[in-house]
Amino acid sequence: MKPTVNVLYLPGTNCQEETLAAFAAVGATPRLRFAADLLAGDERLDDADILCIPGGFSFGDHLGAGAVAGALLRSHLADQFETCRTRPLLGICNGFQIAVRGGCFGNVGLKVNTSGTFRNEENQRHVVDEENDSPWLAGLGGQTLVFPCAHGEGRFHPGSEGASYRVALRYEKESNPDGSFADVAGITSLDGLSFGLMDHPERAVDPEVRLAFFENGVRAVR
Amino acid sequence: MIHKFSVRSAGGTAEPDIRELGRSWELDDLQLWRDYYVEFDGTPDPAALAQVAAVLGDQLDVEVSVDQPLEPGAVQVAYKRGVVDNESDSIITVCALLGVKARAGKVATTYRSESPRLRDLVVSTRFNATIEELHDEEPQYDTLVPQGHYESAARYDLRGLDDTALAELGKADGRNLSLAQMKHVQHVQVTLGDEFVTDVLLEALDARWSDHCAHTTWKSLGSLLSRLVRAAEDVANPNVLSMFHDNAGVWDFYDGHALAIKAETHNGPSAISGYFGQLTKLGGVLRDILGTGLSADPIGSFEYTALGEPEAPAPIKGRPDARRLAGETIRAIKEYGNTFGVPMMSSRMTFHPAYRAKPFALGGSIGLLPVSAAQRGTPRPGDFVVLIGGLTGNEGIHGASASSAGATMDTASVQIGAPLEQVKFRKALIELREEGCLSALTDVGGAGLNSAVGEIGEACGVWINTALVPLKTAALPMWRILLSESQERMLLAVPPEHQERAKKILDRHMVRSTVIGRFADTGRYHVFHAPDLTEEALIAGSPDEVPAHQGEVGFDVSYELLDIEVERQEVGPPPRPSGVPSWPALGSAELAGLLEQVVSDAEVASQHHADSQYDSTVQGNTWYGPHYGTEHSVRTAYWAGTPVAGSPAAAVVNTAFNPWMFDADPVAATRQMFCAALAGQVLAGVAVQDVCMCDNFYTPHLSENWREWLVGMVDELAGLVRHFGVPLISGKDSSAGSVHTDEGIVSVPPAVFLSALGKVPHRDGLLREQWTAPGNVLVRIGLSTPSPVGTVAGRKLGLTTGALDDLALSDVDSYLAALAASRNLLRSGARIGAGGVAGALAQGVLASGTGVLLESASAESLFAEHRVGAVVEVSPDDVGRLPAELNPVVVGTLSPGAGILLEGTDLFTPAARDGWLNSFTARIA
Repeated sequence: MKPTVNVLYLPGTNCQEETLAAFAAVGATPRLRFAADLLAGDERLDDADILCIPGGFSFGDHLGAGAVAGALLRSHLADQFETCRTRPLLGICNGFQIAVRGGCFGNVGLKVNTSGTFRNEENQRHVVDEENDSPWLAGLGGQTLVFPCAHGEGRFHPGSEGASYRVALRYEKESNPDGSFADVAGITSLDGLSFGLMDHPERAVDPEVRLAFFENGVRAVR
Repeated sequence: MIHKFSVRSAGGTAEPDIRELGRSWELDDLQLWRDYYVEFDGTPDPAALAQVAAVLGDQLDVEVSVDQPLEPGAVQVAYKRGVVDNESDSIITVCALLGVKARAGKVATTYRSESPRLRDLVVSTRFNATIEELHDEEPQYDTLVPQGHYESAARYDLRGLDDTALAELGKADGRNLSLAQMKHVQHVQVTLGDEFVTDVLLEALDARWSDHCAHTTWKSLGSLLSRLVRAAEDVANPNVLSMFHDNAGVWDFYDGHALAIKAETHNGPSAISGYFGQLTKLGGVLRDILGTGLSADPIGSFEYTALGEPEAPAPIKGRPDARRLAGETIRAIKEYGNTFGVPMMSSRMTFHPAYRAKPFALGGSIGLLPVSAAQRGTPRPGDFVVLIGGLTGNEGIHGASASSAGATMDTASVQIGAPLEQVKFRKALIELREEGCLSALTDVGGAGLNSAVGEIGEACGVWINTALVPLKTAALPMWRILLSESQERMLLAVPPEHQERAKKILDRHMVRSTVIGRFADTGRYHVFHAPDLTEEALIAGSPDEVPAHQGEVGFDVSYELLDIEVERQEVGPPPRPSGVPSWPALGSAELAGLLEQVVSDAEVASQHHADSQYDSTVQGNTWYGPHYGTEHSVRTAYWAGTPVAGSPAAAVVNTAFNPWMFDADPVAATRQMFCAALAGQVLAGVAVQDVCMCDNFYTPHLSENWREWLVGMVDELAGLVRHFGVPLISGKDSSAGSVHTDEGIVSVPPAVFLSALGKVPHRDGLLREQWTAPGNVLVRIGLSTPSPVGTVAGRKLGLTTGALDDLALSDVDSYLAALAASRNLLRSGARIGAGGVAGALAQGVLASGTGVLLESASAESLFAEHRVGAVVEVSPDDVGRLPAELNPVVVGTLSPGAGILLEGTDLFTPAARDGWLNSFTARIA
């Protein structure tokens, strides 16, 4: 039985196809979950082994990046989303912003880039944290992975409360594209199940890099 | 009940974008925040307001105040009421999620500073009076819903009118119908035997016969489009699947897939609002791709913008200057392209004084679709006319008449883009196509529903009920519904048996859809307004009967009566310049100085400030471009992507345009640009027969010899198509490039922008530009075009007038054949473009960190732009194996350093590097 992945598809999501392709390539059965079907109760968010919230501009980034989708996850879909958080959950770019607003990582924030605008870097370098034992990062600690950066609101802010996240990735020294605190490029929840990152491994030119995180996530639920 | 929510940084701590703005304005205390106005149904309780405030303020270090009036010293900028706020729907959605009913929303931006300069700074750089209003005090709104009302159609009996009265009526209310056209309308009335014609018919024909829709200028000069089409037909390239009769051209790809290509311009709107003009140019061309065949999926976009010099004021008082247009362009391209989710393949901005009154705002896209869906669909009688996407508002309607609509009808004279709407129906269209729910579709663009319904219905006949069109306002007159250029709408022909399935798919994607009429076996174009004919009744009605009750009829006319002859104008050959100026003899220091000027010119300099804001990797299919370089990010000469999952086959895109060459000699420039684009494709690795092109003409209509130049360029292109077998499969003509300004008439040069699309079966065969190893030899290959006219260095040296080089096509043939045959000798290759060999060398150094030891150098050898040529890298052993047909000339040797060395002198000075890196940003940011 192949592991199943629900990929949340909201109005404005635009990275769903490369995300579906990445999960399919590592042996999972990914399927889109449409917001309209979820709201109507025709489908569920929590009936898969993994939840992925892909990149894009959900609801046009209106009212703030991920704000409307975050409100959706905290209101109509709150119970289902809570269930999803007990399993591997991946938020990429806008999906990371949504997961943050959904409460996956405590009181952290993703703010406007230091440059004040969107940054596109085709070959952004990321170093995987060696201490984090999240299943998403298994076997990758210390490695430098090159994949694209493309976001306008990704400046990681750790918040003022006690840390309720663990660092997963850092931008390589001197290459921080968004001004993130301590070069943080991605984090996991304390239990390691939820993983969020602003940049896009699913677009990497190198197929091994492209699939590394996805392979780990799927392996964890086999 | 309207409530206001002000969302700002807590404790006055400015976010980086606001700090940056404050720095540029020299206002250390600048605060900037957003005000959300929400019109609720009834009176929400305090708990509901608190919930809404909590969502709006759901970010670290943000605070929300409710109903706090505008503070003294603050300046607020908001869209006028007719300009529907794109965030309104999301505000309503959030309220609904919270269980609060809202009717409309509106977003405003407030600036605050103690400085008395604040208001002037906002007005001069952040305010567009055409679409926005400025508030020094809290605005008082009765409602946030745009207002409008239905007015019965005006009626005109043309039968007794003389020429003077006809001519006057043709120009009334912002229309532009000529006397000849009005006489034809008179003929229509007489033929129909009607007592009158309506303003709906006059407006519909005004649009139908406009240059934009009917290409009257091109027709009057001798069916120019058909000259290009005939040339392509003569070539009979088997890759052509569809050309010029759909929203985009379609080119065969591999394994049952096809590629669509289209580019279009939004020059007029971009002169008024750089933001909305550029936003809708990209949105419009992406919609063209979506509306090609039975729908293609956009896989890449490109854009080109030519503006006046950023340092110069706008030549029309009140219009934004080039510097502001540049900033608005970048913001618009970023917001539309990134939000839509299509990789930017190429972007470029040019500063040329001829574009100071009306920019050249070109947007392009390519898309992927199955060969089986490549042909334009045909509606069948009985199919439903289904309108999907955004609401229809009172916007984009021939300017002057929109502004005279009266105080109770909210208007906007430019189109407003809303990318979210288009993202939503993008994948829905693909699903509709795959499920067989579409007989045909088209986008709703210029001239609105009138153009879309009128064109798609021509196959059999069509009727629509404008009362069913979902509006932004309470109501609108029939002709305004028909002519509105509200964006993000598509028109579908859906067979009755698929209507229910189609509706389900659209609902699932949260796409608004409405059945507004039916295709009919009548051969007639029929528009009426019947508010009591509901969508349900329409769907339940007989497929082959027009409803008996039609309310008010706008018109009901046979298509045969809508055609009109265009008067033919004869033109002679264009004048051709003569005499080629000579390059001056320059010493090393002078060459270095000239190199600094050349690489600092916007044609060569890094435009990283702009293109680093455009997502180039979304979809995960970008294989090469739009930048390369391990040391610096340098623009590539072409883009390649692998759009089919699991396949190594690549689409290759490049472009060619140089307005200074078109200044000098439009016909010779056309030849050079065509050959340059083609040679660039072949250098990349594409076979000549696998290349097609898209043309976008932008020509003046009030400058001397404009007709001759236009016809000359078209004939030249037709000849090039026939010679090389490279067809043009899509194109657009904009023939309104002259503008009356405060300083007189300003005209753009007669010019054509060429976009080339090629294909290769495997991406690994594509040649890259990055230099590979010190010790290898750089060789210039290709045709020699040494004239300084039209070159960057020529401009710097004042060598701007004279002839361009004439290319012999047989020489181009020889070169392309030799290039294709000897690609195995090439380690890397960079097309020669702006800045000539020197430009290629400088960018090679910057990209690779490797230096060049020059054999020798002169102004001509370094700065002549041999556009049908390249600088290639070969191993020392292979230099002698390069065929003579490549015309190889050794330039120098790659060296471990990082300079351009001539007899011990580094021509590439630190100042030149700084100029390449920063000059563009310094001019516009």
